[in-house]
Order: sequence, then structure tokens, then C-alpha cells
Amino acid sequence: MVAPEQHAGHLENASAADSAHAPGPAAGAIKIVVATDCGSTTTKAILIQEVDGVFRQTHRGEAPTTVEEPFADVTVGVTNSVTELEELSGRRLINPDGTILRRTSPTDPNGCDIYISTSSAGGGLQMMVAGVVRQMTAESAKRAALGAGAIVMDTIASNDKRRPHEQIQRIRELRPDMVLLSGGTDGGDTKKVTELAELIAPAKPRPRFGGEYSMPIIFAGNKDAAPGVRKVFQHGGFDLSVVDNLRPSLENENLGPARDRIHDVFLEHVMAHAPGYDKLMRWSNAPIMPTPGAVGDILQAIARGRNINAIGVDIGGATTDVFSVFGPHFNRTVSANLGMSYSISNVCAEAGMANILRWVHLTQMDERELRNRVKNKMIRPTTIPQSLEALIFEQAVAREALRLAYIQHREFATNLKGVQQQRTVGDTFAQKQGGSSIVDSLALDLLVASGGVLSHAPRMEQTAMMLVDAFEPEGFTELAKDSIFMMPHLGVLASVHERAAMEVFERDCLIYMGTCIAPAGTAVWGKPVAKYSIDGVGQGTLLGGEMKRFALAGDARARAEIAPEKGLDVGAGPGKPVTREIRGGTVGLILDGRGRPLVLPSTREECRTAMDSWVKALDLYPS
Amino acid sequence: MVSMIDSVLVSLTLAAQDAAGAGADGATAPAAAAESFFVSGRGALFGWLVVISVFVLVSIMKARAGKVFKVRPIAGLSAVDEAVGRATEMGRPVLFIPGIQDMDNVQTIAGLTILSRVGKTTADYDAHIEVPVSRSLVMTAGREALSASYLAAGRPDSFNEDQVYYVTDEQFGYTAYVSGLMVRKKPAACFYMGQFFAESLILAETGNSIGAIQIAGTAETSQLPFFVAACDYTLIGEEFFAASAYLSGEPDQMGSLRGQDLSKALVGAVLVLGVVVMTVGALAGGLVDLGSVSRFFQSLVGG
Repeated sequence: MVAPEQHAGHLENASAADSAHAPGPAAGAIKIVVATDCGSTTTKAILIQEVDGVFRQTHRGEAPTTVEEPFADVTVGVTNSVTELEELSGRRLINPDGTILRRTSPTDPNGCDIYISTSSAGGGLQMMVAGVVRQMTAESAKRAALGAGAIVMDTIASNDKRRPHEQIQRIRELRPDMVLLSGGTDGGDTKKVTELAELIAPAKPRPRFGGEYSMPIIFAGNKDAAPGVRKVFQHGGFDLSVVDNLRPSLENENLGPARDRIHDVFLEHVMAHAPGYDKLMRWSNAPIMPTPGAVGDILQAIARGRNINAIGVDIGGATTDVFSVFGPHFNRTVSANLGMSYSISNVCAEAGMANILRWVHLTQMDERELRNRVKNKMIRPTTIPQSLEALIFEQAVAREALRLAYIQHREFATNLKGVQQQRTVGDTFAQKQGGSSIVDSLALDLLVASGGVLSHAPRMEQTAMMLVDAFEPEGFTELAKDSIFMMPHLGVLASVHERAAMEVFERDCLIYMGTCIAPAGTAVWGKPVAKYSIDGVGQGTLLGGEMKRFALAGDARARAEIAPEKGLDVGAGPGKPVTREIRGGTVGLILDGRGRPLVLPSTREECRTAMDSWVKALDLYPS
Repeated sequence: MVSMIDSVLVSLTLAAQDAAGAGADGATAPAAAAESFFVSGRGALFGWLVVISVFVLVSIMKARAGKVFKVRPIAGLSAVDEAVGRATEMGRPVLFIPGIQDMDNVQTIAGLTILSRVGKTTADYDAHIEVPVSRSLVMTAGREALSASYLAAGRPDSFNEDQVYYVTDEQFGYTAYVSGLMVRKKPAACFYMGQFFAESLILAETGNSIGAIQIAGTAETSQLPFFVAACDYTLIGEEFFAASAYLSGEPDQMGSLRGQDLSKALVGAVLVLGVVVMTVGALAGGLVDLGSVSRFFQSLVGG
């Protein structure tokens, strides 16, 4: 239990945040929704309407975001983007004073029932987290912050190999929107948690917005340490709130209260101090959510609704976000230096030119040519490919950026560490360690792509191939892409009207590209890896190193029977056949016989030849 | 047995009689005893000794020259950080027991090498470690090892020599003390690294009952099942020494470890070959002279 007076303060704050937005009608009365996502550069608006008893996204508008000068008011961009909706739909959505128009009755031809929004403008939500042990409470704090949609600027821990003066220096350099402090199990350590507070307090981290703004500190650690922590932060311009411990015991993780408080603080402090957001909050019928937090929410809702495991990826210019839902576990990672424009040089440095070159099938492109293209992209980061060679180069880099981001995600999304194991004598030679990755490619059901290089690829086959090469899905995996990056809008809509969000997600948000079937295990190239029998496609044998694509249009479903060779697994165990229904899509069915983990030929010429055969098999580029 | 004096000719006469007293006798040719440095029938063993020595020496030389040998990850070692981290988060001590034998026991020495690693981690995490011992010499060596670990971690000021203390030489007096300590202080991480006897199950079960992460390591085969069942991780026999070599990182220990592994692989291969040849011979039914093959392999393994 937290201290009573502090807990009461938390509740007061929460209700204050809730009351900042306009109350909306009951879910049953909602028929028309306007949703916006205020990004760093553009504000995207969508109109969702109930058509024949089903919610559909009907129109979309876009306008530049206006957080910066000369406007310095986010609502100007919102109004502009909704005005475009108005023009496209023929429905009046803006009042003469620029606010969002609401319907007065169910038959009113103008206005909407609710208006909702997400925001990542101005760099989104930036946080610093701290915990006693880096792999335990500090990692849980990082998970809570990332799950709430934040960018974690740094993680301070008592075992992070930095001296106290280095830690203080680092805290002083950062300009976070808030700090999440954790540490100690309930009834556990108090000394080191208080020491962490004593590092943060004298460092006096300054918030990004507003000089008068008190730095919010959320304490989600050992309840016994709360009085000591409160004493440390009582002076010096901090706004401390205490919530339930996010690791009450090392066997349990309780991220909910900390995440909720992060959202509240985001609204009360960050949004309230950002230009125009006080107005935007009053317009909105639901709390404004950080964009990545909303994406995570909708992915969780979909995974829960369909009872599947899902991964979502959003590759941007500077960062790549990976979201995963495996069973009850949700994880999000932000790979801060993996992106397709500002971070492209870092992708090349981390992956190595040889690894990028292996995805290029052109004879005329060598390492020198690649380096020149990287340098050009560094000089003009926002350019888009103007030639086929430039497109192939970008997609090769994207494969490596996605692959590295996925590796980071797998390393982060793990079981809890520091948990006591119960053994039997049967475990003598197989003592599995705690902290193993939750992400299991063989158990993955749905892989969703978004972000420029994936969403705007000229052919769907290219998007599908980038996903398959980077994520190496095993067994049966559906591939989809977010058509117009609508997931943030639907994430916040799910908090108000879950059915509407689900219906739009399935019908308009996702474009299903099809299903990838890939036996896991070492494939001998040229030798059979699996026999297949697919309704409407036929029967055959898949060879090692081979890729095949069969058209399976739209929402078509087909029964597929896959019998892998000995030692290869498609989900039922090595060598065991699997029969299940598969979903078609714009690409269709992809059979991948390259084996997992994917090992490409070591010599450049062999690798290029192999890549060339896959390009032809999937018809990736014009010949 | 017949004693023979060097250079004196000796002839042996043997007589056999049946129950009725009838029998036959015979005598051997005269023979003289000569001094011998080698038992000629054990030549194969000498050959093995040479091969193993070459493996070990070459491996040590390679390690000294800077060659890095890959040691398979040992779960028990990787879990040290996790165990110490748990103690840090829970605000409880770490308990380390280096067996109940003295410094003349190789398992105690291996245990103290692992204490160095655990001590460095506790120093890094600023956690508290307690090392009760049952031999005075082990206390002195343990203090030295722990002091060096705190120094290596850059926290010499955090080291307190009273963290390593002597309890009693008596096996069950020591066990009773450590069990009581566990129940009172509830350490969150317990390490048992060394030679243990009947006290192994008492200690491991007590540690399990207080919810500690437990990591054990011993070459005492009779105690391994208890540790495996009651502890989170167990370094089994050879792993215990391998861990010690891996942690110390000394070229001599690493080279020795690799040399021994190569020797074991060779012996294993000869055994498998022998089994295969004998099996094929038996199945072929008279095509192979099993007696001579058997004698060949027996001589090869020094039998």
C-alpha cells in the first residue's frame, strides 16, 4: 500500500486529467468519429462512420503540424486536417470558431459524435527511468515507460557501471518530460532506492517545456522506501507521485499503475505545457495518448480479440519501434538509432556493408556504390528513391534496420529475471535460465508492418519480402501492413468504443498480404525441406534455399497441409505434418525453404545468385 | 610369489598330485632376475600418458600465446548476476559456503575461485555477502580472495574482513550454525561451492524453504542429486572445475581444461571403436578373430 495522503493525491491528479477532456456520449450512441494523430511533421485525420451497421474508415485528411512557430498552436494543424476531411466527405465538421463540430441529434447531417487524438509532436513523450538493478527493477521501469509510449532517454541503475558523479552529470544533461523511479521489492531494499532519489534530486533535471513547470517524478518502488523518497523530493521543485510498486516481488510485475500515472502526467504536464494542447484536450472526448502507446493498445486488443500472438513494427526516419504481444505479455522497444533517413549511417555501421550487400541482387552494385549511396542519403536524408537501384538499396538497408531492431526487441522482451526456479532431478542436464526471450517466431501468428519504407513500397511483394527476410517468421505467419498508419487513431478509439476500433482495424486498417510458411531448422540447399498440398494451388515439394509464391487473392482461405522433412518444424514438432487454414492476400502464399535461422551463402556471387532467384520467384522488381 | 635375487640363476620345479598321491612333476629352465625400469606390459598406458601430456602441454602453450578457448556457457555461472541482483533488490545478504574441507582439497580451491567472481558481483551491486567457513585456513584464503574482488570492482572501502569468518571444524556444528543463519537472516542467494557430505541436503533444503536462489557446485557425486533437486542451478563434477578455470581465465588452467577435454574425446572415440568392432565381429560370426581383437583393445587401454 502507498502512503494514504500520497495515494489520495494521485487520485486527485487522475480525476483532474480525466476532466480535462470533454465527456462524450455512451458507446452505443457513437456513429461518427473524427480522430487525429498529431505527428512531428504532419497531422493525420480520419473520419470513421457506421455504414450498414459496420464501422468503416471513410475519409482521410492531412495537414502540416503546427506546434512550432509561427503558429505555435497544434490545433491549427488539427483544424486544417479536419477541414480536408470536411471537403472530401461533404460533411461539415468544423465550427466557425475552428473547433470540432458535434452532432446535435442522430439525424444531424453535420458534425461528429466524438473527437479523439493521439500525439507524438515535439518529440513525443521523453522519459528517464531509474531502478536498483539494471536487469530487474530498472528493466521493469523501462518496460512500463516504453509500454506507455515514451522514449526512454537513459536508464540509471546502481549497477550500471557509472560512478555517482557520472550519473548526476548524465541526469543534468537530459531534459526529460518526467522521471520514473523504481527499486526494491515491497519489504525489500530501501537504502539504494533512496540513494537513487538522492542522485536525482541534486542533479535537478529540467523539463523540456516551461520554466515554471515542476519536474514530475513517479515513484513506483518499494512501499517502505516511499517516506524516504518523499523527504528527498519535498524541496527543489519536484512534483512527486507515488504509485504501487511495479515489482512488488521479483516473481511479479505490476506495470499498470505506473503506466496509468505516466499517461496522467503526460496530460497534466507535458501536454498542458505544449503549444495549443490545452485547447486540444478540451476538444477531445478521450484522453490524448502518446502515439506509440495507442499503437500498442490496438495491437494488444487485436491479439486478445483473435487469441493470437502478434508483432507490429513501425520503421521511421530516425527510429524503429517494435511491438509484440505473446500470450499475456506486451512489450515495446524503440531502437533509437535504426531508421531510414537520419539514422541510415548508423544502420550501415552496425550491420556492416557486407550484410547490406547480401540483399542486393544487382551485379553492378558493389560496396563502393553502396557507400556512395549511404553518403548521399546522409546529406539529403529526406529524399525518396528515384530509380530502381535506389529503391533496391533502400530496401536492403531496411532489411538490416528491421533485423537489428528485432534482435534488440528479442533481447528486451524476456521473462522476469531473479526468480527462484523449482527443479527436479530430470533437470540435471537442462537447467534453463530465467530471463529467456518471450518472442517465439514459431508461435507468431501475425506480423504487421508500418512506416514509410514498408508502407510506400511500390509492390506489396517487396514489403512482404522485407518482413520475411528481417523477421524470419517460422511456421505459419500472416503478413499485413497498416494501410495509412491508422493504428494510433484506432488505439485511442479502442478505449472509447472497442467494437468500432476492431471493425475498422480488420476492414480498413490492415491490408493482408498473405501467409508465409517457413519450416524452422537447418535446410540443405537443393534437398527437399517439405511437401505441400494446398487447396486451389496443388501439391509439390519445396527444396532447400527455394522460395515459391502462389496467388491466393483477397480474403480467400485455403486448407494447407505441410509435411516437413526430418529435423524441420512447422509448428507441430520436427518432422511432423501440419494441416491448417491459411489466409490469402495481395501477395498470396509464400513458401520459404531457406531454413531458420536464415543463413545466406558466404560468397558474394553465390549470395547474389540466390537473391536473384528469390527476386524472380516473388516478382519483386521489374525485369 | 617367488623372490628372486639379482643375477642368481633360479630354476622352479612344479609337482601336481591327485587325491591318491599319484602325480607328475616338471622343472623350468634356469632363469636369472634382472633390474627393470619399465613394466613392458604397460606400454600402452605410457603411450596414453604421453598423448595426454602432449595435449595438455600444447593447449597450455597455445593459451599462453594468447589463444582464447571457447568454454560452453554454464547456466550456474551466468546466473550469478541474477542471484546477487535478487539479493540486492530484496535487501538481503548473499551466503557463500566454500565446502567443509580444508585448503588441501582441490574442490575448496575451486570454490574460492568462484567466490572471487561472486564477491566481485556483490561489490558491483553493493550487496552484502557472508562467508561462514569451517576451517581456519579457508577463512584466511577466503578473506584474501574477497578483498581482491572488492579491489578489482573498485570498492575496496566496502570490504569488511568480518564478512568471512570461522565457525567450527565440526561438520554438524557448522551445519546447524549455517541453517540457523539462513532461517534468521533469510539470504536471497545461497552458493554452495566445494566438497560436501551429509550436510548438503540440510543446507540446500533450508535455502529452498526460505525462497533463495541457490547455486551449487561439487565434484562429490553422491551429493549431486540433492543439490540438483533442491537448488536452482548446479555445477556438476567437471563443470565445477571448468567454471573455476573459466573464471580465473589463467592460461594454465584453460589450457589444462582443453587438453583434458581432448584426451577424454580420444579415449571415448577408442571405446566406441572397440565396441563397434566387437559387435560387428560377433555379428559376422567367425569372420573376425574376436579374441585377438579383444586383446588388441585391452592392450590399447592398458588392460
